[in-house]
Amino acid sequence: MKISEQEFLIRSGLGQETLGSWLEEEWLLPSKSSIETSFSDIDVARVQFVRDLQETMGVNDEGVGVILHLVDQLYGMRRMLMTLQNEVPRPAD
Amino acid sequence: MSDDPYEVLGVKKGVAHDDLQKAYRRLAKKFHPDLNPGDKTAEGKFKELSAAYALLDDPEKRAKYDSGEIDGSGTERPRQNYYRDYATSEQDHPYANSSGFADFMGSEDAFSELLRRSAQAQANRRGHDLEFRLPIKFIESIAGASKRLTLPDGNTLDVTIPPGIVAGKLLRLRGKGAPGTGNGGYGDALIKVEIIPDRFFTRERDDIYLEWPVSLTEAVLGAKINVPTPTGDVTMAVPKASNTGTTLRLKGKGAPKQGGGHGDQLVKLKVMLPKGPDPDLEAFVANWEYGKTYNPREGMVP
Repeated sequence: MKISEQEFLIRSGLGQETLGSWLEEEWLLPSKSSIETSFSDIDVARVQFVRDLQETMGVNDEGVGVILHLVDQLYGMRRMLMTLQNEVPRPAD
Repeated sequence: MSDDPYEVLGVKKGVAHDDLQKAYRRLAKKFHPDLNPGDKTAEGKFKELSAAYALLDDPEKRAKYDSGEIDGSGTERPRQNYYRDYATSEQDHPYANSSGFADFMGSEDAFSELLRRSAQAQANRRGHDLEFRLPIKFIESIAGASKRLTLPDGNTLDVTIPPGIVAGKLLRLRGKGAPGTGNGGYGDALIKVEIIPDRFFTRERDDIYLEWPVSLTEAVLGAKINVPTPTGDVTMAVPKASNTGTTLRLKGKGAPKQGGGHGDQLVKLKVMLPKGPDPDLEAFVANWEYGKTYNPREGMVP
């Protein structure tokens, strides 16, 4: 489900300025077309995750970048494992 | 599970606020669901932690709890989905990357081969199935039809309705769904057929029911009348001395049966008097002896 930048700001509770700096840090990767930037549900959830890192766990900006990088690799591996589980035929017993 | 927020956070009752926060942060790092994607219990633990901290972090609430005015329940805040719910879903997203295992795909052993194959499967994922509703007329459901469906994106889809289709049936149009990734191909379009109720016809299994009016003359003397069926009009013989409720069977005029053949159409007659007063009819009925003694309500005790 694609959502507009405005709706994204409302739903995530993120300010315009904060969004700008997060985009610069590449913490968020919305899809960009020639006309507009659009977000989706995963971006809203990612904002909440970054907020939890910053506010709940007291991680600073440098730490957030490192954590996101590692977490993205972790989820990449999990997706790969899921595909392995679903799509690679099992040997017959 | 504990209702005591101090116990949940593993601190003593008189703990200083700084130490409280420290304890909470330490546990939050350990149990945040997004940092523990494979642990199904993490979400519940994290919720419990957050609720406990929300209570003790607020001096007023903490004082009330300490004096026993409130208990530890009811402070949980609703929370939408976690990041992990999206990040591991089948939907493509820009964040997951393969740099954590890319090197494994380079070697020649069997495991690397498996990884390469599933990476390919991920890149060549079939598109999603798309579901559409298609309302059709009753007559079309019996006789079959060709319909054109206009999709939300402006494209059209030609759908062939097979004769005798029942309501709620799903028609699958292969390859007419959403596009996949790579060589994954398109998903299917699933058409859910809805049948608009007809003014005259109803259907039960393979038989079609119709209530059809006849005149008094036709009912008393018998007649040949035209009767509609979903596949066109037919001539039907109304036997002499028919009545309201007399049901006549038109063999093979029902819906197509699954194993071949057709059901029947059952026509229930309804005798209609002419509209308005008619002097001749009145004169006849006034002199009609049996008409005066016949009681259609005999034996009808509710």
